[in-house]
Amino acid sequence: MKKSPLALLMAVTFASSAVFADDISILKKELAQIRADYEDRITQLEQRLAYAEKEAKVVQTEIAAVKATPPQRAQRNNSFNPAISMVLNGQFSDYRRDANAYELNGFNLQGEGGLATEGFSLSESEITMSASIDQLLFGQSTIALHDDTGTTEVGIEEAFIETLGLRNGLTVRAGRFYSPMGYLNEKHIHAWNFADAPLIYRGLFGNQLTTDGIKLSYLLPTEQYIELGGTVGSGGQHPSAGNHSGIGDWLIYAKTGGDIGINHSWQASVSYWQASPEDREYGGGHNHGGGILDPVLFNGDTDISNISLIYKWAPNGNFRQRNFTLLGEYFYLNEEGSLNNSIEFATYDGKQYGGFIEGLYQFTPQWRTGLRYDRLGSKLRASDNELLTDADLDFSGYHPQRYSLMLEWLPSEFSRIRAQINHDKSSRDDDTQLFLQYTVSIGAHGAHSF
Amino acid sequence: MKKLIYFLLSLVITSPAMAEVSIFACEPEWAALSRQLGGDKVTVFSATTGLQDPHYIQARPSLISKARRADLLICTGAGLEAAWLPLLQRKSGNPAIQEGASGYFMASNYVRLSDIPTSLDRSQGHVHAAGNPHIQTSPLNIMQVAKALSQRLQDIDSANADFYQQRGDDFTQRWQAAITKWQQQAAQLKGLPVVVQHNSWSYLFDWLKLKKVAVLEAKPGVPPTINDLNKVLNQLKKTPAKLVIHAAYQPSRATDWLVGKTNITKVTLPFTVGGNKQSTDLFSLFDNTIQLLVDATK
Repeated sequence: MKKSPLALLMAVTFASSAVFADDISILKKELAQIRADYEDRITQLEQRLAYAEKEAKVVQTEIAAVKATPPQRAQRNNSFNPAISMVLNGQFSDYRRDANAYELNGFNLQGEGGLATEGFSLSESEITMSASIDQLLFGQSTIALHDDTGTTEVGIEEAFIETLGLRNGLTVRAGRFYSPMGYLNEKHIHAWNFADAPLIYRGLFGNQLTTDGIKLSYLLPTEQYIELGGTVGSGGQHPSAGNHSGIGDWLIYAKTGGDIGINHSWQASVSYWQASPEDREYGGGHNHGGGILDPVLFNGDTDISNISLIYKWAPNGNFRQRNFTLLGEYFYLNEEGSLNNSIEFATYDGKQYGGFIEGLYQFTPQWRTGLRYDRLGSKLRASDNELLTDADLDFSGYHPQRYSLMLEWLPSEFSRIRAQINHDKSSRDDDTQLFLQYTVSIGAHGAHSF
Repeated sequence: MKKLIYFLLSLVITSPAMAEVSIFACEPEWAALSRQLGGDKVTVFSATTGLQDPHYIQARPSLISKARRADLLICTGAGLEAAWLPLLQRKSGNPAIQEGASGYFMASNYVRLSDIPTSLDRSQGHVHAAGNPHIQTSPLNIMQVAKALSQRLQDIDSANADFYQQRGDDFTQRWQAAITKWQQQAAQLKGLPVVVQHNSWSYLFDWLKLKKVAVLEAKPGVPPTINDLNKVLNQLKKTPAKLVIHAAYQPSRATDWLVGKTNITKVTLPFTVGGNKQSTDLFSLFDNTIQLLVDATK
């Protein structure tokens, strides 16, 4: 039985050869053709191999050429100069009501807390310089110039030194800096999203809270971003006041944040600030009799708590094309102490609070729009209400509110033209406010902080 | 007994093997290169994806916490990350990644940059003073960076120096072979006239000898106006081009406009690892790039 398959095969083979005997010549021809084809292919392969070898040599020489040309380095005398940038601002403001009669009920406007000058005005121009000082330190300073009733005022917005990679996530900063309280507060005003400050910033800080002192921050070695820190300061910056030996104000804060997928990112922070103001002056005072200014003064303890939340969205995390930002902040100021002028004295208990929420949508690389809502409240108690009136503090418990809508055109990342309209209910007298503003930055490239 | 004591002593004295080197790569191409050279001795994080414009990244909280724990920072440099990297370094409180430290590696320091502007003025758009930073579009540049990076890994993690050396040699060999292959595949592209949307491809064109006829962005980083585009259109009437190239992370509006006006073929190149589905590592990035170019000319 074993032989039978072989026998069968032989039988078939012979049979077929018998059947196709006439085609042998054709087969031979085909074989010759195939051989020729293969020879062709082999020659082609040989050619390609030779080419490849040649190419490999070319690659080697090209790589050698790249390597041989040393990278170019700029050699200039001013290479060590700090990064210098200047922010120029100008705006046109129009108010339906008298800007000088502006009031924020329940709050006293200090510093730059009022409305911008009506009509054309040059708002703050800032010069920022920064550089590494040495292997350990970085330094930055921002000088602001602005007009105040005919004279130009020069102010030091920031001037600080900071450690460069101290170690273990620690950073120490010393000098004058924006206090790490809230979200917008740490940014320069020109980097804010609207032409004017949120009402709560205006009411509590006279636009922005700064610290003259030392800041320590610690970044935890965790996957999740968690930063803890604090500051101690002179206690001379509004809403604190006076000269303090030792620590005049202090602050602690915690921040955390992260990404959700590739499209979303967020950050949340809480902070608490404490000071004991000495002779904080209100209003500018009222005339008593002979035209002598007699301001109301506050002495006591002040603390402010803050919570901030920011959320950002960008398709594929690509902020350049389109992005959306939602930001909300809330502040609560609590103070106890006394109010007095030269003739009167009263115990005082004040609570001022409020916040804002704003949404910003950049729908193309060059256009952005935003909507903001502000709401404040206050509860002010004094043993003598006359002093509250003298201090320009409205104690009726009115809730100031404001709606703002803005549209920005961003020709490049260095320039911005903004139009904004407010429906302002800072006091019982409603106001409509219009701003047209340009902000440009010349010089060193600014950083995109979150 | 003596042996036992020595054994126990060696257990105590021998410090635990250094944990994996934590690498913070600013762009996906350097993350991919780090994986090639570091293997399982490194953990790699890429700060950006292939679909993000690396000029415009924000110093997000997640990036700060990654930078804080990084042993090695690998970025392009040449001003590409000027808007966000310095902030990350400062906020990280991490001495390892500060400028000049052993964990600070800027790829553009190891290649010769082209397109160095003769005059610096912002009216010319988003100009890069140091030269064109998009160096990853040529494998010759990547070869140079790989050599320097392998050396850097050996310096930082000297316990595994041999491992990096061997991996580096292996990569160099495979990369050279791949370059040869790509050059063969792209031989037919030599002299091909093309239009680009943004001036991102100088190094690729130098390598493959493609001819850049026009740039849609009249000024780098500034979206072209209809006037700019019409100028390009007129220019193309005199010097026609076969392809218009745009990077996956960029919006294709300007490119699409041109395609609508002429019979030019549009090619969307991945630009970096992760720019499209096919480009999963450096090898497939160039495989795919060249295939897309060759296919488009058929």
